[in-house]
Amino acid sequence: MPTMPNQTRATSPGFLVLCALTAALFMIACKAIADAPREIVMGVVQKIFYFHVPCAWLLMVSTLVCAGGSMAYLFGGSERGDRVAVAASELGVLFGLCVLVSGPLWAKAAWGVYWQWEARLTSSLLLWLMLVAYVLARRYGGASARKLAAALALFAAIDIPLVYFSVRFFRSIHPQTTVVSTLGPGMKGAFWLSLLAFTCLWGILFSVRVATESAYARLIDLEILLDQTEEKKP
Amino acid sequence: MTMVAFAYGFIWLAVFSYIFMVSRRLGRLTSEMDELRRRIDRLKP
Repeated sequence: MPTMPNQTRATSPGFLVLCALTAALFMIACKAIADAPREIVMGVVQKIFYFHVPCAWLLMVSTLVCAGGSMAYLFGGSERGDRVAVAASELGVLFGLCVLVSGPLWAKAAWGVYWQWEARLTSSLLLWLMLVAYVLARRYGGASARKLAAALALFAAIDIPLVYFSVRFFRSIHPQTTVVSTLGPGMKGAFWLSLLAFTCLWGILFSVRVATESAYARLIDLEILLDQTEEKKP
Repeated sequence: MTMVAFAYGFIWLAVFSYIFMVSRRLGRLTSEMDELRRRIDRLKP
């Protein structure tokens, strides 16, 4: 028997603490980014890095979570896995869009062009397009598109190693994955604070979306039950 | 500096737009729950 969805996680004390912590982390991170020394070659435009890389990290996290949930749904029939995948796919589209807008702005200043069809950029665009396809399939494809979308999420996860290792295995003008370890002292702190703040923000948005999807699922169950009860009533 | 401002501005705009969309969905969910409660109340003897 489904129960009435009476509250979401948005009202729990733990959630409010996470919100406060995230706000504080963003304020500290912004101060640290402002105080971080300017990179010698690129100058102030390098500061895009502090938001660009956390967004890229969250694009990958979202895709992996989406693929994990889809796998649980496809092979285990888990409805919760499906709801987790839907929530993660939306966040993947959001943070992927941030990566694909902030990256070219940085590239224009650093390389002189907004876009290069090289391995890292192309594979990132492909990953984002697969997540967009997932979201569109779920929104407009109806119930029959659930399995198709889940399979698409697994394909998107296969693209992640390609995105990550592309700068090592292909000729690329994109900075290497080892760039974080080469950052100066003031830069490293700002970067890790920003990464932590963005990860907490992802956690908040993800928990709200999963809770919303769960509440909707219970609501639909209740509506069906209520329809049946109303039909039986004389 | 313009590029940095545009990049940071876009990211914040995207995040807040998404939060706005989620809050609208929550609003719709709440109104559907209220409607369901009314239907349940009508069924009570």
